[in-house]
Amino acid sequence: MGRLEYVKKEYARTRTVEGKWYLSSCKYKYNITPVKTCFEMLKRRKLVGLKCRGCNHVFFPPKLVCPRCMTMPDKWVGLRETGVVATFTATYDKDEKTGELVPVPIVAVRLDGADTIYTVELNPKIKFDDVYVGMPVKVKWRDGELQGNLSDIEYFDAIEDAGMLIKEPGDAVKK
Amino acid sequence: MMAGRQVAIAGAGFCEHASKRSDVNMAELVREAIDNCLKNANCELKDIDAFVTGNMPGFEGIGFPELWMTDWLGARNKPLMRVTTGGTTGGSIGIAGYYNVTAGLPGIDNVLVVGFEHQSCGDTSVGLASVAYAEVSLYTKFGLSMEKIQRLFGAGSAIGIASYQAINYMKRSGCTEEDLARVVVQNRHNAAKNWYTHLKMPKLTIEEVLDTPYVSYPLRYGMLTPATDGACAVLFTTEENSKKFTDIPVFVNGVASVSNENAILGYAGSGTGQIDPCEQVGAIESSKLAYSQAGISFPEKEIEYVEVYSPFPNQELQWLERLGLFKENTAHLRYRDGTTAPNGELPVNCSGGVNSTNAIGASGLERIAEAALQIMGKAGNQVPKTVHTALAHSWGGVINLVTLMVMSDKPKRIWKKGDA
Repeated sequence: MGRLEYVKKEYARTRTVEGKWYLSSCKYKYNITPVKTCFEMLKRRKLVGLKCRGCNHVFFPPKLVCPRCMTMPDKWVGLRETGVVATFTATYDKDEKTGELVPVPIVAVRLDGADTIYTVELNPKIKFDDVYVGMPVKVKWRDGELQGNLSDIEYFDAIEDAGMLIKEPGDAVKK
Repeated sequence: MMAGRQVAIAGAGFCEHASKRSDVNMAELVREAIDNCLKNANCELKDIDAFVTGNMPGFEGIGFPELWMTDWLGARNKPLMRVTTGGTTGGSIGIAGYYNVTAGLPGIDNVLVVGFEHQSCGDTSVGLASVAYAEVSLYTKFGLSMEKIQRLFGAGSAIGIASYQAINYMKRSGCTEEDLARVVVQNRHNAAKNWYTHLKMPKLTIEEVLDTPYVSYPLRYGMLTPATDGACAVLFTTEENSKKFTDIPVFVNGVASVSNENAILGYAGSGTGQIDPCEQVGAIESSKLAYSQAGISFPEKEIEYVEVYSPFPNQELQWLERLGLFKENTAHLRYRDGTTAPNGELPVNCSGGVNSTNAIGASGLERIAEAALQIMGKAGNQVPKTVHTALAHSWGGVINLVTLMVMSDKPKRIWKKGDA
């Protein structure tokens, strides 16, 4: 399994010189001014996005310049802790006992009230097969004191509210 | 409005593509493609006035090939420029060749465009890291551990981006994994009929593809694009000169190169507004531009052959829809009924496409070369019908840059001042 045959031609191996190349360290420059305010609010368990006054798009995590209007958005708006999965993919972890590769979902979430997506992890208990586009999720804050950075959001959890548990339209009325 | 000169393609050439061309070095590989192109166009090196070259920087472990490879290109003491735009390099150098000719500079009529990649020399992951490392290193400042970053963005590298697109495309259109495998099988069968391609699999079946393990859901090992060593050369020239080189010149009537906001990774740790990775506003905008230049109002009826840049099968379906060739969410149905087969109504990727041969810097240019050869009637896997208008597409960046070239067997009418 896993091997596909194709018409293969072997070429003579000539004039090969082995070489190794160590990459030097780089110093990148970024303007993270808007992110600072957002992180201070994260410390207080609050989510805020940056709203562009030109096109009303809300950016979370905040953006320095709005790509549509080329202006600097400067209006902070509060966001809810809920959101939806916009797209997802899998990364594969090795099961220590059986040695099998287990798919773990990596999702891009759009928070309610924001117009942008960003990549996060889901609750490790959620299986990959249960994830779908449009899945409602909510923020799980980390335990203990918050640091004021992205690690304060430990992961996103699936929402288990009453509306989700109704399987047939009549169920709610019966209860 | 001032219009430029009409541009024609007079010939194209390839070298043999394989996963390890260990018998030649990079310069010799490039020379093979140039010699093949000059032979096909009945042209000599002294006829070439200027050169455009390009490859993906960092993938081979050798920088700035244009600085040391000039003699092998045959470009000594002639104008030479290099353009690199990652995956779109091939498409961008094609457009640069077009601009060189259409500008009408004195003494520059015949421009040779060369794209190449010798991936077995270097380390592709180092090349990819040089693209994404700046963004990723920023996230360490944002308090994420290196382990978490690897999990988040390791899944978001080239294959991850394609699987995001695939998941959203499958959600939109209802296409199944079997449909994706069908696209792969068609490409590999087409590649087997073409002399230079890499993955020739004449007997591949859908079941065999679906039997391979997942690399990243829903893409399986059997659906992936290979890493290829190869080169491609295309000769761009003026309308007058093209008749010296070939009986059936191919006229370039529209070009476009549009970039949109990148997806999944926003710039400088910010979010991105491209919520649906398969929405592809850049492709829609560039198709509008290119079609309007070429005077095409009904692309689904007027375009008779198309080469799209599709390393992964879901992208082939997605591009055909975004470029206006099929209706939204119906591309996979057209593969089921055989519309896209070489003898179908709209043949797609009869060369085998990027899905079967991917020498990154050459891939985009090979789309242009194959589309042009189909119009000339000289392609390796020639379609039975006569092709009048063809489209070549290429894609790259973080799901954002799209280049297009519309080609035809007739020149477009240019209204000059004083006409009519």
